[in-house]
Amino acid sequence: MKQVLDEQLAISEVQPICAHCGDVCNDVRITADDLVFCCSGCQSVYEILQTNNLCDYYSFDHKAGVSMKGAMTDEYAVLDDPDIERQFVEFDSGTTRRLRFEIPAMHCASCVWLLEQLDRLNTGVLRSEVDLMRKLVRIDIDPRRTTARAVAALIASLGYRPLIRPEGAAGSSVAMRSIYVRLGVAGFAAGNVMMFSIARYVAGPDGMMPSLRLVFDVLSILLSIPVLVFSASSWWRSAWGALRQRRLNLDVPVALGILVLFVRSVVDILMGTSEGFLDSFTGLVFFLLIGRLFQQKAFDAVSFDRTYRSFFPLSVRVSKGEHEESVRVDNVHVGDTIVIRNGEVIPCDAMLVSSGGYIDYSFVTGESVPVECVEGRIVYAGGRVVGGRLRMTVTKAVSNGYLASLWNNADASVRRTSLLDLADSFGAWFTIGAVGIAGIGGLLWLPDISMALTALSAVLIIACPCALTLAAPATLGTAMGLLGRRGIFVKNVGVLLDIAKTNAMVFDKTGTLTESEHSLSWVGPEIGNELRGSISAVAMQSTHPVSRSVERLFGASLQTVTDVEEHVGAGIRGIVNGRVIAIGSASFAGSRNAYVEVAASVAVDGRPIGSFRIVPQLRDGIDTLVGALRRDHDVYLVSGDSSRDALAFEPVFGAARMRFNASPHDKIDVLEQLARQGRHTVMIGDGLNDAGAMRAAHVGIAVTEGTATLVPACDVIMGGETLQDMANLIAYARNLRSLIWFSLVFSMVYNVIGVALAITGTLSPVTVAIMMPLSSLIVTAVSVVGARWYGRRSQWVS
Amino acid sequence: MGVMTLLVICSIVVSSGFLLAFLWATRRGQYDDMATPSIRMLFEDRHTDESETEHDVRHSSDGTKQ
Repeated sequence: MKQVLDEQLAISEVQPICAHCGDVCNDVRITADDLVFCCSGCQSVYEILQTNNLCDYYSFDHKAGVSMKGAMTDEYAVLDDPDIERQFVEFDSGTTRRLRFEIPAMHCASCVWLLEQLDRLNTGVLRSEVDLMRKLVRIDIDPRRTTARAVAALIASLGYRPLIRPEGAAGSSVAMRSIYVRLGVAGFAAGNVMMFSIARYVAGPDGMMPSLRLVFDVLSILLSIPVLVFSASSWWRSAWGALRQRRLNLDVPVALGILVLFVRSVVDILMGTSEGFLDSFTGLVFFLLIGRLFQQKAFDAVSFDRTYRSFFPLSVRVSKGEHEESVRVDNVHVGDTIVIRNGEVIPCDAMLVSSGGYIDYSFVTGESVPVECVEGRIVYAGGRVVGGRLRMTVTKAVSNGYLASLWNNADASVRRTSLLDLADSFGAWFTIGAVGIAGIGGLLWLPDISMALTALSAVLIIACPCALTLAAPATLGTAMGLLGRRGIFVKNVGVLLDIAKTNAMVFDKTGTLTESEHSLSWVGPEIGNELRGSISAVAMQSTHPVSRSVERLFGASLQTVTDVEEHVGAGIRGIVNGRVIAIGSASFAGSRNAYVEVAASVAVDGRPIGSFRIVPQLRDGIDTLVGALRRDHDVYLVSGDSSRDALAFEPVFGAARMRFNASPHDKIDVLEQLARQGRHTVMIGDGLNDAGAMRAAHVGIAVTEGTATLVPACDVIMGGETLQDMANLIAYARNLRSLIWFSLVFSMVYNVIGVALAITGTLSPVTVAIMMPLSSLIVTAVSVVGARWYGRRSQWVS
Repeated sequence: MGVMTLLVICSIVVSSGFLLAFLWATRRGQYDDMATPSIRMLFEDRHTDESETEHDVRHSSDGTKQ
């Protein structure tokens, strides 16, 4: 541990690195015990670990700690509500209560180690166990000695904020266990039945004693029955469900194929005409289950549902007379006075009863410049409070809020993905075709009933589209895992086929094409360092986001400011080195240049000297990306923000394809219009305000910074830095689609040739017995290797 | 050939035992988390006053007492 810290210190000579989280300390720096910390949060975690002799934490991973910048810890009061606590309790025996928390921040061996030492920090904790892949921790507590709230606050204070979200903890291991069990049974049966079959094939028709043959037949049938009834049950259920709704999905011909295979084999064995194909039957179910396993594994590894954090608060502080009380949001009524603090999200529409601070609506409207808070103003659900603590009177209960209406719109329709479409339409044609051909084949033989039945069942067995049910999940599941490692999270395998089809693309601006934090540039005559410092010193007195950007632009300053007065909605004024410095709106600073792009004007001793202008921070490589996409897509920019950045985007998109001041409903209209023109659309956005549009598009892609944002209704989540890979993603998806078609055509040709040869008697039964599972093996190998190969061949940027 | 029949039935019985062991392990949650144990084995054992046996017992994670 000492060694790691020494190394960090060595680096810190040049560039200070936080001893806790390993981030580079830019502006703020706290030094203690010869160590450097980026913020007081990181320092306090280090101190907790040090006092409890837990500094081994730093020896397992260089960047072990989770940065504590901007962390809040007292949001776990909701866990005192038994109804909410119950969602996190796995079982409760009175003396032991097992809690389960999802912790998105855990990432390395150090995290596992520390989270399994919780009993050393809180005596009420009996034991804790981490599941790193699912980002879960299970904590057994003694409810008489500690509470869920205390434990949640403890792990949050270490930097591991547990996820508190209304719908309860998702993601269970039950699906995986069920597949393992079915796979185990099918594999067991397949292995044993194959032994009997090979013995019979090798011995030939008369090479085996009838008594032994009887034992083999009976055992084969007995072993196959659990496979039919148990291992293959999901196909029966799916096919039966589809038939009952008078639909045909891909599981119908699969179910039909394996059922015919089983029945015909059993009939053949009982009649003594042949040895049947029970080896093929059990092997087939085994391989089909392997396809399911691929799908589930990819889904678990990507853990789509677990990568985003709750956006909507669960509880809110309601002011009751003298004191404040934490109340669940559904129990907040019109007329209640609620208190929202810095960084929190407003849960419902309300009217302000206090001033000070700002509200950032960028999640809801895409507008990046925050709104001032003035008493009497109506504020809307979804706004985030910046700098200040606001009291407000609720005007609409939660479910009627603007945010809730967007949310409900977004979730109203259940989307069908392409894989289902493909599988369903394919399944319908396939079933009709196969049954038709089988019927005709049977009719042709008709006077000879046994030959007719043979032909009928042979065609149904060949036509079983197992390759598709195996190839699609194996290919797409492998690809999903690969993309997840690159920071592109795909909701389910079908989305990749949707992406392959797209030809129109709509971008949102704020947070998608630009970084979410805006930066400023100074417009006006050059000013000296001393004056810069004075301006920065005044700006540092304010919590307005523009002031924070001024501080970043000019650097932190230690000059003393006196007589500070902040006028809400106007600006801030202060005296530094005997000069009166005013920063604020044009009228406040006495400037005449009142353009939209001016964020703030500056005056010294009442004389305007210049202004700050907002510079859109375009992400790197946006122009090359859009250029590449425009080769086979129509690319549009639709933004809820004002048109002040229009000039910056015009060379990239072209004036005709840009639209500003668009409300969320305008965005939905744009996408629906494109869809009506027969385009296959992608919506790329970041915030909640795009949720409806993402739902209206064929594919919704959310761009996030880290994993901190909740993105409902999207199909793909990309990190901001992976956005440049968009063109690669589309090319990759197209390659995957070709790969699936190749597997499909290959297995059809293989099966037709194989069965034709078998029927004409050219091949020995032993060869056929080997060839049948071989085709499934080849399809799986082609799918997995192909998906990896294409993934490696793409020139990924990140 | 009677001995063949006997051997075949014996082998099926023995391998059924392995199958049952596999099913039991799956249902107990042994295959739920394949990633964390590989990390956990790297940590030093704790030498504290509390009884060692208690935290060495691997609990199943499926809440069987429910």
